[in-house]
Amino acid sequence: MKKYIKPILSIIIASVLAVVFIAPLLWMVSISFKDDVEAILPNLNIIPDHPTVANYVNVLTGGDLNVPIWRWVFNSLFVGVVTTVLVVAIDALAAYGLARLDVPFKNVILAMIVGTMMIPSIVWFLPLYAEFSKLQLIDTYWALILPYTSGAFGVFLLYQFFTSFPKEIEEAAYLDGANKFQIFYRILLPSAKPALWTLAILTFMGVFNDFVWPLYATNSDEMRTLTAGIAIMTQGSYVNSPNKMMALSTIATIPVLLVFLIGQKSFVKAVTQSGIK
Amino acid sequence: MEGNFNPHPASQAPIETPMNRSFQTRTVKSKWKSQFTSSLFVLPYLICFVAFLAYPLVYGIVMSFQDYELLSSKHAFVGLKNYIDIFKKGDYLHTSFFQGLLGTVKFVVYSVPFLIIVGLALALLVNSLPAKVRSVFRTIFFTPYAISASVMAVIFIRVFDTNAGLLNIVLSKFHLPSQIGWLTDLPWAWIALVGATLWWTIGFNMLIFINALNEVSEEMYEAAKIDGANAWQRFLYITLPSIRKIMIFIIITSTIASFNIYAQPFLMTRGGPGSETTVLLMNVFDVAFGQHKMGAASAMALLMALMIIVISIIQFRLTREREE
Repeated sequence: MKKYIKPILSIIIASVLAVVFIAPLLWMVSISFKDDVEAILPNLNIIPDHPTVANYVNVLTGGDLNVPIWRWVFNSLFVGVVTTVLVVAIDALAAYGLARLDVPFKNVILAMIVGTMMIPSIVWFLPLYAEFSKLQLIDTYWALILPYTSGAFGVFLLYQFFTSFPKEIEEAAYLDGANKFQIFYRILLPSAKPALWTLAILTFMGVFNDFVWPLYATNSDEMRTLTAGIAIMTQGSYVNSPNKMMALSTIATIPVLLVFLIGQKSFVKAVTQSGIK
Repeated sequence: MEGNFNPHPASQAPIETPMNRSFQTRTVKSKWKSQFTSSLFVLPYLICFVAFLAYPLVYGIVMSFQDYELLSSKHAFVGLKNYIDIFKKGDYLHTSFFQGLLGTVKFVVYSVPFLIIVGLALALLVNSLPAKVRSVFRTIFFTPYAISASVMAVIFIRVFDTNAGLLNIVLSKFHLPSQIGWLTDLPWAWIALVGATLWWTIGFNMLIFINALNEVSEEMYEAAKIDGANAWQRFLYITLPSIRKIMIFIIITSTIASFNIYAQPFLMTRGGPGSETTVLLMNVFDVAFGQHKMGAASAMALLMALMIIVISIIQFRLTREREE
């Protein structure tokens, strides 16, 4: 009997905490289905008295909030997907080159890349803005995408994978007359799939969720991403229509939550590996 | 290599690949050619790295010595003026920098202990669960990490609302004080910011702690049990020393993360009440984009980065010395 007490106690405590962790998200979804009257009432109804999808219809048809929501959804997905593809491609190439090929000044390049990982990003945030401003690229997709391509995390992550990949397989391929590019494309990339997916998931979530850079790098309503748009709206009178804000927030959360839940396993693995060993 | 299956038993000569020495000592011409094609792999990233990281980094340092107005094209060199202004009492930059720094430091002091203790407690809790339900709870505690700062703010502005907020309603159900101005009064504003931060980010620390706890050897616990050590003693003398390295890692990363605090006060309290929760990054952005003084803001940002780096080094040294 005694040996059951501890696990049961743990489950009870964990369950109470689980409610605390889920409650805010559940509340967001709940309010997004409430009508204008019920949404501002101080009650705890998780299931609304008069459930309605009117808020979603309203938000998606550019009603009360008067924002180009479809454009924001497109911007966020477009920037998220394009950046992810770019980052995975250039990081994989660079990581392989640094891990296995005779790149001149390899160690200097590696040290430089790893060194910048310790510098807080605020240091290059302002000059980056000045740079894009000078190039007249503020408020364009270029500004929303390109800055993310310089991150060192992906190179570092894939570098660790490629250095642990058995050399014999590559050597055999060289003997068969394959060149570097063929070996990279036909042997290394397919076997690096799990690592590449991990990087893709982390990059997509990071870019999709970032609001600070898109907030300053855009200034027209049409170029906002979902997160930048919502961040601006929290400062305005939109707070007075919580049900619509919650509907918009739910819409902005669905894509990234899906990616998170699908990629959870590799995500968890990557996070634990990013710690020191 | 010995003992491995060799697909080409006929060839006994060392295999030449761009990865080994025999290849690199071939003729100068083919070496150069190989180095050239190898460099092509690194080139796209290097271009991005230089254009969007290294160059801005250097440019930021240059800017901090300039009177760089965002809207004008003239950027006069002013030497150390921006830095001197930051340390000159009564100057606008001085107030902006040190008032913001005070807010940031307060947040670091209030949040870091909880980020570590709650993270470790959650990890211990998850590990004490039966294996079957462990991953379910791990996922639940980690899920808020996937939410964007903006959405987090929208949710918590409402959770902490004085009249219709989730928290005050729950408090009133328990007949506790329930007219608390979570985002508008002190000390509640800080509690709200730390609370929201914990909800949002604690899953990350928990995951890393879980990983560390799983590597502590089971045998040591068994041996301690036989010696009659109770659970608290086992935690104190086996668990804690075994996860020291990860603990240092978490302390440093949590401090850096808290030092970079921006989204929560910017979106939730807007720095209030008064300027109590106005943090340094908010003021850096205000000087840059509100006052259009990019040069001065760059100086502030560089000082902030310098402090973060110094604090990390000190923390690392302190925690390492204890070991020796």
